[in-house]
Amino acid sequence: MSKSRKVAFGLAFAAGLVLLPQWASAADAAHGEKIFARCKACHAVGEGAKNRAGPQLNGIFGRAAGSAEDYRYSDAMKDAGAQGLVWNDDTLAAYLAAPKNFIKGNKMAFGGLKKPADVADLLDWLKTASGGAPAAEEEMAGLSKTTGQGSKEPVPGNAAPHAGSDMAEASSEPPHGTYNLGRRATDAEVAAWDIDVRPDGTGLPVGQGNAIDGEALFTEHCAACHGDFGEGTGRWPVLAGGQGTLTNDRPVKTIGSYWPYLSTVYDYVRRAMPFGNARALNNDDVYAITAYLLYLNDVVTEDDFTLSNENFGDIHLPNEDGFKPDDRLEEPEYAGKAEPCMSECKRGPVKVDMRAAVLDVTPDADNGEEVGSGSVD
Amino acid sequence: MGKTDDRRPGGATRRAFMTSALAGGAALAATGRSWAEGDPLITEIQDWNRYLGDGVDAAPYGMPSAFEADVIRRDVPWLTADPVSSVNFTPLHALDGIITPNGLCFERHHAGTALIDPADYRLMINGLVDTPLVFTMSDLKRFPRENRVYFLECAANSGMEWRGSQLNGCQFTHGMVHCVMYTGVPLRTLLQEAGVRTSGKWLLAEGADASAMTRSIPLEKALDDCLVAFAMNGEALRPEQGYPVRLCVPGWEGNMWVKWLRRLEVGDKPWAQREETSKYTDLLENGIARRHTFLMDVKSVITSPSPQAPVTHGKGPLVITGLAWSGSGTISRVDVSIDGGRNWKTARLDGPSLPKALHRFYLDIEWDGSELLLQSRAMDEKGYIQPTKDELRAARGVNSIYHNNSIQTWQVRQDGEVENVEVS
Repeated sequence: MSKSRKVAFGLAFAAGLVLLPQWASAADAAHGEKIFARCKACHAVGEGAKNRAGPQLNGIFGRAAGSAEDYRYSDAMKDAGAQGLVWNDDTLAAYLAAPKNFIKGNKMAFGGLKKPADVADLLDWLKTASGGAPAAEEEMAGLSKTTGQGSKEPVPGNAAPHAGSDMAEASSEPPHGTYNLGRRATDAEVAAWDIDVRPDGTGLPVGQGNAIDGEALFTEHCAACHGDFGEGTGRWPVLAGGQGTLTNDRPVKTIGSYWPYLSTVYDYVRRAMPFGNARALNNDDVYAITAYLLYLNDVVTEDDFTLSNENFGDIHLPNEDGFKPDDRLEEPEYAGKAEPCMSECKRGPVKVDMRAAVLDVTPDADNGEEVGSGSVD
Repeated sequence: MGKTDDRRPGGATRRAFMTSALAGGAALAATGRSWAEGDPLITEIQDWNRYLGDGVDAAPYGMPSAFEADVIRRDVPWLTADPVSSVNFTPLHALDGIITPNGLCFERHHAGTALIDPADYRLMINGLVDTPLVFTMSDLKRFPRENRVYFLECAANSGMEWRGSQLNGCQFTHGMVHCVMYTGVPLRTLLQEAGVRTSGKWLLAEGADASAMTRSIPLEKALDDCLVAFAMNGEALRPEQGYPVRLCVPGWEGNMWVKWLRRLEVGDKPWAQREETSKYTDLLENGIARRHTFLMDVKSVITSPSPQAPVTHGKGPLVITGLAWSGSGTISRVDVSIDGGRNWKTARLDGPSLPKALHRFYLDIEWDGSELLLQSRAMDEKGYIQPTKDELRAARGVNSIYHNNSIQTWQVRQDGEVENVEVS
């Protein structure tokens, strides 16, 4: 960060603080939502919000400047974040009042909100819409460190002071544990990462999607590997069919034939699919794809079946009861624990009755086309 | 590597290399008279004895000798759909001792290797805790740490052999195992820092990679011997092993050792994630599947001789060596048979005997040049004995994929070549 930019940021920030008393009272969130209409062309907020021309704003309160995932920031904004600028009521108010002055060279094409009351209303609404704000002491602790020690080099491993343990030491947060290392996770941080769903439905987001939409999404995002009907292409996983094959010589293990819980489908698609572009689907898209997978597996019969967090618990997969706890150690080969035989353990000479060379599937220059059986999955 | 590349013995496979070496030896013997004065490698001055070698900075990070270029991880391309979600195998046949070199530890990723700058690393603990916490790398390095040697074995190791002998090489039949010394913070220490509530019974470990790998771990295990590790064999974790931070779940299946660890959630029930329902459950012959089969059973394999490490020296002294391990603790004994399991001799364990680590065994024999059917059978400190293939098939059928710890047979022919076989 250049020296001149640093100075500009510091001055503008000081100016921002001056605004504080003017907007501190009687904010009107409903009015704030109307003001946000002027921001919506570029910024999304709320469930499933994605970056547009501007970064998505979920978790903006307590977030370091320039840190929304996958958004291409200006160098000026990235530098401000690296210097310790964290978004809170004060810094956002200063920024929104005069975006170009607050951080010279940032790319937000917005002239600014002239009335402090408008800023206050907007922030009041945004605080709820973006998933809440961390405790005020934490924000101030992060800021005071930055402004007080602006010339200090970032600590290795702690590029953003807000995120490091330094902040915990400086905050008024009660000490935790034996070492008081690390800092309290904000609600927005936990919400960003904790997306797991359990079989009892714990963790499901509010939303819904139907199988017709799911088919279109599946064709677009999933069918290249899993096939149009979940039949799988190449060695990619087969997702549908296979019911009644678990005792066959070659079982086909699918959602309908093997998976015990629907929650696993929702959770996995949301966290890891589409392969190579994880988290690209919004929560309703995931409901829709899950609904389509239920339809492909004949678990539901209506082709326009709508799955939601409301009816999720009513769906049970056919093989839910097909599992039992680990009882390997009760098998005969383990249960005995007898002293093993050391001599004349087999009658007569031992004969070879199977050879790897017959199949010839060991990787080598000569047999690239051969395919053996089995999988690591 | 600079100059040394020029001296690599090409892309020949180890077996081809060994065969040609053997042929070379025979040629020398046949024309023995031409060097009656002695071995030209001794009687003549060699290049390396005359000319200067590379200076100290030729390889700031040292690499193995160019003559070991064939000792590498290898994959089985037909096994998986895409190398980004695949596995390769440790070259066990070419290694000795109990520690696996970092660059040879097998890889298994579900969405490729995540690249994470330690400055961007965050570890979150949330769920049923008094204080949800976020740690940075520098936070983790301020906790008291431990050094522990553990094996890590994929539950699917030997999974391609359920129906019979298939892959000719212990790298492929048994190479989804490695053993290194980890440095890290006990998981217990971090959980105590957040304060686990009494209702907490399970832990979810989550990775930061594009598969966001998740596994449920009983809290009892988490508080016992799990480590949050940032170093292996004295240096930072390798990227493919979870740099900058991975979880170690000693003695339990490798899939639970979440790499690029980013989150630990305490809960009151398991989460039934994809890797513990549709995968890593063991289908039995009756159509019922076992779940939560975490423990890696007692197991061993002879690493040399083996198909990729044939006998090249003819009869006389022969070192039979291999590895044994158990998720239950230390190995108490390894027996070796050279006649397909009719008669057994107790092998010599050498090197440290550490719980939940690889153990190295040797049986030094005088080979008479006849065919051998080599087997090894491990016993662990709990008294569990490695089963035969037939015993496991009788108990489970052939569709379990995971947890095949049965006794392996190698046939050593009179010419020293070795094949993966099954015997009656």
